[in-house]
Order: sequence, then structure tokens, then C-alpha cells
Amino acid sequence: MQPVESYLNNLAKLLPADQRDDILRELSEDINSEIEDKESQLGRTLGEAEKLEILKRRGTPLQVAAGYTQNKGTLAFGPQLIGPVLFPFYARVLLFNVGLTLLVLGSVFAVFVLSGQAIHVKEFLSNVIFQIFIQLVAVTVIFALVERHLNSHSYSKKRAKTQDDLVKQIVEEAVKPRKHEISRFDSIAVLIASAVALLWMQSLWVKPVLFFGPAASLITFAPVWQMIYSPTLFLMLMAIVRACINIAQPNWIRFRDCVAVFLNVGGLAILYVLLQARIWVVPISSSAANSGAQHLASVINQWAPFGLWIAAAITLVQTVHDLVRLYKNWRWGSSNK
Amino acid sequence: MTPSQDNHNLFENLKLELRRGSLVLAVLSCLRSEQYGYTLRKALSDRGMEIEEGTLYPLLRRLETQGLLLSEWREADKRNKRFYRLSPLGAEVLEKLLAEWSSIDAALKEIVKG
Repeated sequence: MQPVESYLNNLAKLLPADQRDDILRELSEDINSEIEDKESQLGRTLGEAEKLEILKRRGTPLQVAAGYTQNKGTLAFGPQLIGPVLFPFYARVLLFNVGLTLLVLGSVFAVFVLSGQAIHVKEFLSNVIFQIFIQLVAVTVIFALVERHLNSHSYSKKRAKTQDDLVKQIVEEAVKPRKHEISRFDSIAVLIASAVALLWMQSLWVKPVLFFGPAASLITFAPVWQMIYSPTLFLMLMAIVRACINIAQPNWIRFRDCVAVFLNVGGLAILYVLLQARIWVVPISSSAANSGAQHLASVINQWAPFGLWIAAAITLVQTVHDLVRLYKNWRWGSSNK
Repeated sequence: MTPSQDNHNLFENLKLELRRGSLVLAVLSCLRSEQYGYTLRKALSDRGMEIEEGTLYPLLRRLETQGLLLSEWREADKRNKRFYRLSPLGAEVLEKLLAEWSSIDAALKEIVKG
């Protein structure tokens, strides 16, 4: 692939979908006009290194795309860590992970209040702040690395073409329908969200104090969690693998849809096992002296089904949504063969 | 960062701010006659107003969305190019902006003179 073609292909992935073709056509025309202008000044064709210089002067695809992106925010501590193109995905992942953390910890807090346990607000808040801080740092570092990678200048140059062929191919590429392609940033967002959620789950498993707070000295997870641990881990790893594959192959839409349905069905099966268990937390000690722990465990076990049913309803709706999407994309794929 | 680098960055930022407003005026003025992106960029550059592609094309898009410019794809020199020109609203706005520019210019000259 020639540098110009490679540059425009990289840029195409970063532009807003509704203006992508138009912007690409215009920029490819501008780049080619500049190349032609230079060639007529020098009286010879430009080499690949000279073309690369022209492209480098224009900025990386990420920098160029940022000019066309409606600025919904950036993150900078001195130098810019996350630019306007990646920022909406960063905000979405952060919102998902932090929201999930707050939801879980908030539920635990509510159960403690309902069970009449003495709450040490300071301890509870430091637990919440610590977990949010860890999530914030993990998500920010990963996105900053992605931004850095995308900002590096690397345009492959595998085969040479004539100028006419190049222009033709760029324009064809630009007008090709791209509606049915998974955004790489969506896949990156899923990858990061799943990886951070996986780390979080692992840390909860190893240190239940992160989940139960001070009550970790009284109660712990019931054996059913041991049972669903491996399948849950498998599903999360599968989501990560799916995202990695779709980063490399954004046009594998059926694969994405099939995996999404499988993950949801797997999630429903796990929720079914959990609902059947009826006991989700147990006191660490069953001695009569530990009545506070038993009371706390019974309150949690009384309220937990509501949360599980809500999770099951959301997963069911998501499954139906993914099935409809799979059907539509299947039909679209068949009719466009 | 050294103090001289700080000063340089400060100057560059202020220069950018100063240029930002005048770029719109320059682009609208140039597009009183129809041009496509590359020739517009060259025309601006030849008259001492360097502008990066990454700034020019998003600006053209914004001005078109605001109804100040009209554009159409047309073949020229055996290639399809997007030609821009001032819309009637753009011409009206340009007249007002030029009047404003003249008054700012006159005021600034007086102020700078002391």
C-alpha cells in the first residue's frame, strides 16, 4: 500500500461516519494536488520518502481527524493525553466502569443500612474513592497509550502504483459503503471496559474487603460464586478476544453479533444458576455469638434476588436486541454479496 | 521548560488567537471568486497568510454549514474537485465584517500610535 493510500485509510477510520466519504475525497484531492504541484516544480515524480514528508507535515491521521470532530472534550495534564477523537469513547468506558462500581458499592451500602449495621462512613468512602481511583488510572493509562500509538507516523509502503491508479483506488475506497463496519474505537472501548472489569472482578475475589468493606470480617461469598467464577471469567475473556478480533477485522459483523448473542445467553445461564442458589453470602463464623453477621447475611440474601432479576431482565432485552441485529445484518450481508 | 520557551509558547498562542479571527475574513474575501481547496490555500499562502490543511478544510466546512459558502463537486483537470464560492449571505456578512475590520484597524493604529 502506498503512503498516501495508507494515510487516507487510517484517517477514514477516525472520521465522523456521516462526512467520511466527502472529507476523504476532498483531502485525497488536496494531497494529490500538492504532490503534482511539487512534481511539476521539480520536473520529476516524487519518491515515497518525499510523499511521506508531505503527509507528516499535515499531521497524523488522528490530528487531522480531530479538526473535523465536534469537540466533546479532551484530557490533558500538560501535554494532551486523550484528544477529541478518542475522548467520547474514553468518557463512555469510564462512565460504564465507574457506574458499575458505584452501583455495586451503593447496593452493598444500602443493604448495610437496611440490616441496621453500623456504617463507618469514612471507611466506606475511602473504599469507594480507592476503587474509583484505580479504575480512573487504569482506563486513562490505556486510552493514553492508544492515543499515543495512533499518533505515531507509520504508513506502510508495500507496493508501488501509478498516480492514476492511486487516485482511482482512493476515490473508490472513499465512496465504498462503510455503514456495515464495526468502529475500531468501539472495539477498543469494549476491550478496555472488559479488561478493567475483569481486573476489578479478580481483585474483589482476592480481597472481598473491596466489596464488603468493613463487613468483610463478618460475611463472605457463598459457594455458588465459586461455581460461576470460571464461566464468568471465560465470558469476560471471550468479550476481550472478540474485541481484539474486531479491531483487526472490523468487517466481521456476523462474528461480533454471534459472539454477542452467545455472551448474553451465557450471562443469562449464569444468572439462572445464581437465582437458583438462594444464598449468596454467608457469615464467616456460624457461632451463635455472631448473630449480627447472620442477620446481615439474611438481609443481603433477602434483597439480592431483586438485583439479580433486574440484571436478568436487562440481559434478556440485550439478547433480543442482539438477535434482531444479527438477523438484520445477516440479511444485509446476504443481499450485498 | 525554560523561561524563553515559555515566552515563545505564549507568543505562539497569542499569534494563533490573533490569526484565528482574521482567517475567516481572508477565506471569505478569497472566495468572492470560485476556487477549490488547494488553489485557495495557495492563494492565501502567496499573499502571506499561511494556513494548514487541517485548519482550512474544517473551516470551509463550518462556513458552508453556516450558509456563508456554497460548494459543488466538478471535474477540472481530469479530476473531481470541490469548488467553493461565497453565498449571497456570505457576501452580505463579508461586507459587514470588512467594515468592522476597517474600524478595528483604524482604532488599533490610533492606540498603537499612543
